[in-house]
Amino acid sequence: MVEFKRFKLDNGLRVIFHKDVTTPMAVVNTLYDVGARDESPERTGFAHLFEHLMFGGSVNIPNFDGPLQEAGGSNNAFTSNDVTNYYDVVPAQNLETALWLESDRMLSLAFTEKSLEVQRSVVIEEFKQRYLNQPYGDLWLEFRPLAYKVHPYQWATIGKNIEHIQEATMEEVKDFFNTHYHPGNAILCIAGNLELEEVKRLVNKWFADIPSKEKKVRNLPEEPKQTEFRTKTIEREVPSDVYTYGFKMPGKGQDGYYEADLISDVLGRGKSSRLYKRLKKELELVTEISAYVMGSLDTGLLIISVHPSDDATLEQIDKEIWKIIEELKSNLIEQSELEKIINKVKTTKAFSEQGVLNKSMALAMNELLGDANLINTETEEYEKITVEDLQKKANEILQKTNCSQLIIKAKIND
Amino acid sequence: MINRTIAPETKTVHHIDFQSPEIHTLNNKVNIYSMRKTDDETVRVDFVFDAGSLKTSKIIAQLTGELLLSGTGEKSSDEIEEAIDRLGGFTGIEVSTEKATISAIGLREHIISITKTVVDAIINVNFNPKEINQLLQSKKKKMAISLEKVSTQARRAFLSDLFKNSPYGDLTQLEDYDKIEQNDLIEFHQEKYLSGLQYIKVVGAISEEDLKELQTLGERFSKEEFTTIDYDYGYTPNKIHIEKEQAVQTAIRVGRILFNKTHTDFIKFSVVNTILGGYFGSRLMTSIREDKGYTYGIGSGVAQLKETGYFFISTEVGKEFKDLTLEAIAAEITLLQTEEVSEKELSLVKNYIIGQILEQSDGAQAMMDRFISVESYGLDFSYYDEFIKQVNAITPAEVKELANLYLNWEDFTIVSAG
Repeated sequence: MVEFKRFKLDNGLRVIFHKDVTTPMAVVNTLYDVGARDESPERTGFAHLFEHLMFGGSVNIPNFDGPLQEAGGSNNAFTSNDVTNYYDVVPAQNLETALWLESDRMLSLAFTEKSLEVQRSVVIEEFKQRYLNQPYGDLWLEFRPLAYKVHPYQWATIGKNIEHIQEATMEEVKDFFNTHYHPGNAILCIAGNLELEEVKRLVNKWFADIPSKEKKVRNLPEEPKQTEFRTKTIEREVPSDVYTYGFKMPGKGQDGYYEADLISDVLGRGKSSRLYKRLKKELELVTEISAYVMGSLDTGLLIISVHPSDDATLEQIDKEIWKIIEELKSNLIEQSELEKIINKVKTTKAFSEQGVLNKSMALAMNELLGDANLINTETEEYEKITVEDLQKKANEILQKTNCSQLIIKAKIND
Repeated sequence: MINRTIAPETKTVHHIDFQSPEIHTLNNKVNIYSMRKTDDETVRVDFVFDAGSLKTSKIIAQLTGELLLSGTGEKSSDEIEEAIDRLGGFTGIEVSTEKATISAIGLREHIISITKTVVDAIINVNFNPKEINQLLQSKKKKMAISLEKVSTQARRAFLSDLFKNSPYGDLTQLEDYDKIEQNDLIEFHQEKYLSGLQYIKVVGAISEEDLKELQTLGERFSKEEFTTIDYDYGYTPNKIHIEKEQAVQTAIRVGRILFNKTHTDFIKFSVVNTILGGYFGSRLMTSIREDKGYTYGIGSGVAQLKETGYFFISTEVGKEFKDLTLEAIAAEITLLQTEEVSEKELSLVKNYIIGQILEQSDGAQAMMDRFISVESYGLDFSYYDEFIKQVNAITPAEVKELANLYLNWEDFTIVSAG
């Protein structure tokens, strides 16, 4: 049970406080309700570029990192397709330093040309390091537009291409800040061995005078129901082929998400899963196979990822995968198999909530989903699911017309 | 309106409370270290064996470790995995140069059953040729992929050149996978697993009874004294470039053999390393990422080995920035050697380092890691008191002196790939 208190400032800032008496550290986690899905198709990669700029100095404080490090703290941030999340971890006695820094960059940034210019280059190098200079690095750059035709999930957080990052202007940066970075679009989670009254006092001191703005209504195009099997083959200079299958499924927080998550576990989580046992251990058609869900907030993807053995063909592998899918659709799974995957869910959850930083991030994310308390009730949601529910959901999701398939073929050099 | 240009006052961390694990010594002289004051249901049990790659070849050590759960005369690998999964358990296998750690992970109610399954599997593994072959195929493929990365190429070339004269430089080559004999694995298992248990660590709120069960499981192994071999850690600085035409970035490794935490200069040199490349605000990060934008990240560190250690700088930069980056790295080092660091920068780094020790000691698992990281060098928790004392005491003149002693460009091996 993760206990917490919530309060809200007049400017709309939502605050969660979790008291943890076991740690000498305090966490300030700030989640902004903006991600790559909120970008214009002509300026992708912007939410992530912007995350970098948030470290380039704020209106009253020239340098973000220095004072935090001076206080014995560290920080980082990440951008997803859905959200942008910033966190600071400091010795608890220096909590106020983190609040001072976070509140100033929520108020306004320094917006220096130098910072924009440098972070454009840094992000371009990140693009190269992660997406262009790694074998299979561009897999998601290729897969997303295959699976999504309308919804902005069709691009990755890094963006569609380097040009979009190169062309970002200061005016666009300011505009992005004004639209998305304000108290009403943020959730602040503070955790540590602290007292609620003191946390309230300090949060009010630093955040209460930040002007409120109207929250922009999100109006994203809904991805139409997929009605045809999509497949695409690309050639790359890689040592061996990789096949990726993706099935549309409910987003996190939507009905049916938990069922889909469990279906992916039955199929391909770990060494006792169905795909692993059959395709790898029994038939030796693959050297690796796994299934998982992406966990996005809008319509998501259930992914099957395959590294074929050298002498296996796509036809053989494809046939076996669909055979296992058909079994799952036509027969109820054993109660004991369901119990097995629920047990794994429970263990994973217990470990993922270790430490004050993990708890803070999870509380903020769940609050965005509607209720921070989901952190405590999520396991029950999984336990309610029956073998019949799984079969029904499997029949909805695991259809060929709901599937996109990307084949990366190793280019044969002479 | 509040004046936001004035920073709130900060308080320095002066002291950290370190808690030692309980220690029980088994009949076979193996120690169980346990941290049982935790507030959740999770338990992690680690068995640490003298089965690192220094004791054989990298490939034999790696394969033996990864095959430990691959089946016995009575149970197939599928049955073992199924039994662990049913209890919601996870396992971990990590083979380094110096040791092999096998972990059983799960919730308190199931941890003993999970651990029993793991121990039974380790003791009775029969290295079935079919399992060996499946693992070989999968590892070969993974390695072929990894070898495409310029970061892997640079790291391998750097280590194998630096440690030419010792097994730390031993690298697995793709063709080694075709030369594996079942017997090599059986012998290594016999010697370094069945007779090579070094210690067990447990983090989680298990009962007295469960702890006794773990002791019984630990006593199924025996413990030969950990053997150390004296190698020659001499090296000749070298320059290596690996060309990869289609790469868009170049990976760079620069460094030298240095020392580990048992050396008298280690603590103070850690401060020098932090200033240079050990944190986000470091001089390398500031110059090469935040000022010039050549890279997504650059850092330096002192890697710790049982008998020695090495200093390294590591980055991946746009191909066109390779020479400029090497020049900029050299310039930052020269600066450290010729100009004293300001009190302001030094005080920031001191506070940062001590804050990091506090963070790295947060929680039972972290505390256990801190304990093992001194215990395995024959030190104890007083090391950290000494650490904090020395970090707080270091002067700008000492920083400069240490940079001159240990960071000479002509002593460095410089590798680039891309």
